[in-house]
Amino acid sequence: MSDALLSVEGLEAGYGEVQVLWGISFQARRSALTTLVGANGAGKTTTLRAVVGALRPSGGRVLFNGEDVTRLPAHAKAARGLVLVPEGRQLFAEMTVAENLEMGGYSKRASRSFAVHLERCFTLFPRLAERRRQRAGTLSGGEQQMLAIARGLMSDPEILMVDELSLGLAPVVLHQLFETLKLLRDDGLTIVLVEQNVHLAFALSDHAYVVAEGKLFTDGPPEALADMPEIRRAYLGL
Amino acid sequence: MSLFGIIASIIDGVLVGSVYGLAAMGLTLIWGVMDVVNLTHGSMIVAGMFALYLLTSVLGITPYATLLPVLVGGFLVGLALYWIAVHRMIGRAPLMSLLSTFSVNLVLIGLGTAVWGTVLFNVPVSFPGVTWQRYTFPGTHLLAAALTAVIAACLYVFLYRTRLGKAIRAVAGNRQAAELMGIPTTRVLALAFALGVALAGVSGMLIATLFPFTLLSGDAYQLKSFVVIVLGGLGNPTGALLGGIALGLLEGLVTPFIPVSWTLVIEFALFVTVLIAFPRGVFALRRS
Repeated sequence: MSDALLSVEGLEAGYGEVQVLWGISFQARRSALTTLVGANGAGKTTTLRAVVGALRPSGGRVLFNGEDVTRLPAHAKAARGLVLVPEGRQLFAEMTVAENLEMGGYSKRASRSFAVHLERCFTLFPRLAERRRQRAGTLSGGEQQMLAIARGLMSDPEILMVDELSLGLAPVVLHQLFETLKLLRDDGLTIVLVEQNVHLAFALSDHAYVVAEGKLFTDGPPEALADMPEIRRAYLGL
Repeated sequence: MSLFGIIASIIDGVLVGSVYGLAAMGLTLIWGVMDVVNLTHGSMIVAGMFALYLLTSVLGITPYATLLPVLVGGFLVGLALYWIAVHRMIGRAPLMSLLSTFSVNLVLIGLGTAVWGTVLFNVPVSFPGVTWQRYTFPGTHLLAAALTAVIAACLYVFLYRTRLGKAIRAVAGNRQAAELMGIPTTRVLALAFALGVALAGVSGMLIATLFPFTLLSGDAYQLKSFVVIVLGGLGNPTGALLGGIALGLLEGLVTPFIPVSWTLVIEFALFVTVLIAFPRGVFALRRS
């Protein structure tokens, strides 16, 4: 895949003495939606955290736009457009919706076209426009997830990584958010999704990776993976 | 004592208390942003006092013109302190930063005592007061309270209206998320710490225009700062100002009736009571 925007090679990371990632590799193609699926504790979230630098990798490389960004601090990666919407939203609960979005557009690159991005966020999520003066902690779960995505979009991402979008969301809201992601992908945004809801993830993605025990188990187009008996048994409950 | 006397005493207490509030704002800002209890706070207050003394008596600058140099100097000292004593303690057990700032405080006070001893200093500041009935409010008290109000307003505008100030609040709220949004959080922490120290320095400078001081005065004002931030709610700069005013009000209320040496006893009785009755602070914002 020569048109890979993000290329992760043999990444190793862990927490203290506990190594979680044992040389995981994957790529994210430009303007495509790539999914990482796998069982609980397989290392999906850890992979994203190590890629963006929230966790220091102990081995391997992260190539972004052909540049080796493995050792950059997280804020520098975000400023380059490698953006993570973290698991559990991690909003600034005491700050207003508008302030959360403003913080999303903090980097020099993102702040240049701040107004354009804000406009786009409010078009995608009109609810956020209505609640711009409200404190983020007082939003409903669905609105909080919208805000988390919108805040990520304010960073002017070249690649948007979303960790566990579906966590604690009602099916209607979840469906709506997936539609939004599809829209963004069709608009040319590169997206990497980590998702428990494998059915939904497969329905949406262009390419999927199956992660097991901190390594890559297999990868392929989602339709092909969905036909593999061991995947059907382990992740799709069929 | 007449009713007017008591009211005058309370008003004067509020004026002085607002300056305590300013000192506490520095302490609570640092605590709120990085969960560090800055035990160099007292020595930074004293540094502000001595800066006033040295700048006025040695360089001959008028007292209130020292405010800006103290603010800038405090900021730079704060940056240095952050990198020396605080940065490596961020995210560790609270005891680590307590010990490291405590040791720096000991070193600074030790050095200061070696140079100046513990004699009483007094910076003569004259500013016309305001007379009401038979009572005159000292001009220094009025001016200190006015300057405090201006500085507190500036801090509020900075934290709530500017990008960098909002970034400080974002880091206070969720450092990891702030980092993921492209905010260089380490720099923001250093900035917040420096700001807290600058506030301590300026409050020390203003206190020194009100009362005589020694090199060891910092402890008492540091303790007052703790009472104030407990009143105002930990990590809440606006609450700290209100807490300071409340403490001043209390001091003004009791001084006509009991010997001054009892004020600290009453203040700390209040401290304990508030901790038990309002663990989140009397002036903490009501949260739904």
